Amino acid sequence: MKTKKRCILFFLILAMLLGAISFGMQRAAAGMKGGITGRSRSFAAVGAEPRDTLDVLVIGDSESYTSMSPMDLWKQAGITSFDCGQPGQRIQETCFLLKEAFKTQSPKLVILETNAMFRDPGFLTNLSMSIIEPVRYYFPVFRYHNLWRQILDGNTNTGRSVFKGFEIRDKVVPYEGSDLYMKETKDIQQIPEFVLSYMENIKKLCRDNDAELLLMSAPSPHNYNYKKHNAVEKYAEENDLPYIDLNMKTQEIGIDWKTDSYDKGDHLNLRGARKVTAYMCGYLTENYSLPDHRGEEGYQEWDNLSVQFFAEVDRRNTNAKK
Amino acid sequence: MSYDSLLYVALFLPLCLAAYRFAPEGWRRRVLLAAGYVFFWMLSGKLLIYLLGTTLLVHCVGIWLGWLKSEEKAAAAGVRGSERKAVKAAYQKQSRQVLMLGTAILLGILAWLKYYNFFAENMSGVLEAFHLPFTLEEKSLIMPVGISFYTLQAVGYMADVYWGKIKAETSLEKTALFLAFFPQIMEGPISRYTDVADTLFAEKPLELSNIQNGYIRILWGLFKKKIVADRLAVPVAMVFDHYTSYSGVVTAVAAVAYTVQLYMEFSGCMDIIIGSGELFGIRLPENFRQPFCAKNAAEFWRRWHITLGVWFKTYIFYPVSMSGIVKKWNQYGRKRLGRYVTMLGTSAMALLPVWLCNGLWHGARWSYIFYGLYYFTLILLGIAVQPARDRILTACRIREDSRVWRRIQITKTWVIIFVGELFFRADGFRAGLYMFRSIFEDFRIRQLWDGTLLGLGLQKSDIAAVIAGCIVAALAGMIKERGVNIRERLGESRLPVRWCAYYALILAVIIFAAYGDGYQKVDLIYAGF
Amino acid sequence: METLMNILREIDDSIDYEKEQALIDDRLLDSFGVITLVAELEDAFDISIEASEMVPENFNSAGAIYKMVCRLQEN
Repeated sequence: MKTKKRCILFFLILAMLLGAISFGMQRAAAGMKGGITGRSRSFAAVGAEPRDTLDVLVIGDSESYTSMSPMDLWKQAGITSFDCGQPGQRIQETCFLLKEAFKTQSPKLVILETNAMFRDPGFLTNLSMSIIEPVRYYFPVFRYHNLWRQILDGNTNTGRSVFKGFEIRDKVVPYEGSDLYMKETKDIQQIPEFVLSYMENIKKLCRDNDAELLLMSAPSPHNYNYKKHNAVEKYAEENDLPYIDLNMKTQEIGIDWKTDSYDKGDHLNLRGARKVTAYMCGYLTENYSLPDHRGEEGYQEWDNLSVQFFAEVDRRNTNAKK
Repeated sequence: MSYDSLLYVALFLPLCLAAYRFAPEGWRRRVLLAAGYVFFWMLSGKLLIYLLGTTLLVHCVGIWLGWLKSEEKAAAAGVRGSERKAVKAAYQKQSRQVLMLGTAILLGILAWLKYYNFFAENMSGVLEAFHLPFTLEEKSLIMPVGISFYTLQAVGYMADVYWGKIKAETSLEKTALFLAFFPQIMEGPISRYTDVADTLFAEKPLELSNIQNGYIRILWGLFKKKIVADRLAVPVAMVFDHYTSYSGVVTAVAAVAYTVQLYMEFSGCMDIIIGSGELFGIRLPENFRQPFCAKNAAEFWRRWHITLGVWFKTYIFYPVSMSGIVKKWNQYGRKRLGRYVTMLGTSAMALLPVWLCNGLWHGARWSYIFYGLYYFTLILLGIAVQPARDRILTACRIREDSRVWRRIQITKTWVIIFVGELFFRADGFRAGLYMFRSIFEDFRIRQLWDGTLLGLGLQKSDIAAVIAGCIVAALAGMIKERGVNIRERLGESRLPVRWCAYYALILAVIIFAAYGDGYQKVDLIYAGF
Repeated sequence: METLMNILREIDDSIDYEKEQALIDDRLLDSFGVITLVAELEDAFDISIEASEMVPENFNSAGAIYKMVCRLQEN
């Protein structure tokens, strides 16, 4: 009995120690804003935003944050949005990133880019991700443990400016393939079983936090085809979720694969992202009642950032013309 | 799933422990065996068939040899004198043939998978040189994980039965577990049957103290592997993969860094492996004993990868040195050539196969063969100069056990080790030679502190972590060298002290280990051999 | 026993074989010492020593060596 009590006490103290260190690191990470690099950046960045200021969260893998530009959305409709996707995001990360964001934000809409729904890294990786992500969530020391290095090395901020999760990528590497990559078929690509179970969690999270969930497929000939379209459409229907596949609307959006692709049809570049954002802005104002925060008290930062953003965009455009 | 992964430490092991705990009487061994096969399957999939085949073969050969032994005893009981000797000799011969058959099959499989391409490549070169119209195609052969390790264990087991050191194992389950205990699968230690049989098959119930000790050892292994070895992997790969771009101090540092990386990684994994065994009350043989305290190359090999050295000594060195040829040479030499020359000749004859095999065991590459011969030459040289050295030492009144002399010897051994590992890691023998030569060109000691080393992919913080980790490991090693068991001492200390030490170890691993943002996973080096 | 002592002294006469109980474990006799010893023993006692006898227990003391020799002679 004595040993049992001792065991419990040992782990209790350990949990408290980890909790304390985690708390400190979480605070430090939020304070560093752009200083955090790598996969944890999105977690730290969304945590650093002022409380309850974001109305739209865009989540998913790299397709998500290369397609939606929060500054454009702000300028056009005064909607406050944030890109919190990660490169190659796994569905477990999607789930816990959302959970993390809901801690400080109460968005009205969550836009989930659907490419992450088809990622299947295999049983073992899935298993370990399903263990690691909760551990990182409850004990952020596991996520931010490398912070101590920045004390020794100085801030490793690379000087990249990030605009609410969006980075300016203006390189152009055209997509040379067929415009008709969405060729109609009845085939359906299977969504992996574990993704479906995590989707349940994501849906529940949104429901509990009074946020609507919108599935969105960003234009990408490299990643999308009709089989995936069918799969998400079927899933959306069965789960009563709205779904918008931008790959079906490239003409309406006005995507020109010669000028709007960043890397041969995998990701969009700045031009492509701004076109998509403009289109989505129309879609959002039409279907959702999202408040216009322009000119409101407490949102001056957005105006300042937006000035910076468009100055940078103009600079790049003139550079490109030269 | 490798031993340093979260999946292994935090999921696989606890699951195994739970299954072991709740297994009904007589099923505990089966739980361990199943865990071994699951582990193997996750790494090598269908190649599990090789391990199963080996197990079956070894088991049958063992029983066959045992049967021959008992037949021999029965047959020899009734007869006396020279007839008895003849009967025995006949059975001995038969046993030897059975052993040879078993060994040949196992080594044949290993040779086929591991050395065929090397052979084909070099043979094709020879054929081409003679303008012969044959070529040997290189094949894409995939080795099952740990084949180099379990094959040696299997051969050792058969030889031990043949020699009568152990009785043939009658339970297939036990033979199978001996070859497939999951902590050992990837990189040993290469156990002898007598090393592990008593605890491996005991089916002891779980004990809290075992689990505590096991996990402390595992954490200590993670400390070495994740804090030091994985960080060093970056600059080491950078220099060795682009060796023509570096010279002088940087190359020398890379050789030292690789040696440290290799030690921290291999001995760290051994801590995890042996710790994993301890969880179940199973004692696996140690593989390291403070190798950097060795006074010469021979001693280094009695402290580094010990189980491999013991295996070669038992199954190659002794049999060769007791073989007819060596014995004849001994007789002839002692009569005509004097003791010194005879001993040197005997040593050379017995050591050459050992070191050739040692080199080749690591893989089919000329640089590994060179690595083996390098140690062969050094050890033989050590034997050759010993009489002269002793005379000089007495003449100069230097006491062998004086501190200064020991320091000098240890430093000399370090240089030997670093040079050896340089050739070992280099991408081929020629690259090794190039790197070795380039150390002496453009040697600017200033590069050690003028920031050149920071260009090798490590931040200041990483270098600090490596140095701090090395200091902790070196201190622990020095204390162990004095014969103190730190873990035991700690266990006897007062509770607050003990717990603080445990928390410090746990937190050090969690915070300072090289994982997460900015780090890549580093594969186990020895699992590749 | 006397023959054995003579052989041992010939290999290394600085060791007190009457008392020493850990010739191998304390590394007083190294691998080559043992091999020389084996060759001498085989000649002197007309026995054949196999690799399987190469264990420390058989060589740690003069007594142990003598016991091994007697056992092999009986065979």
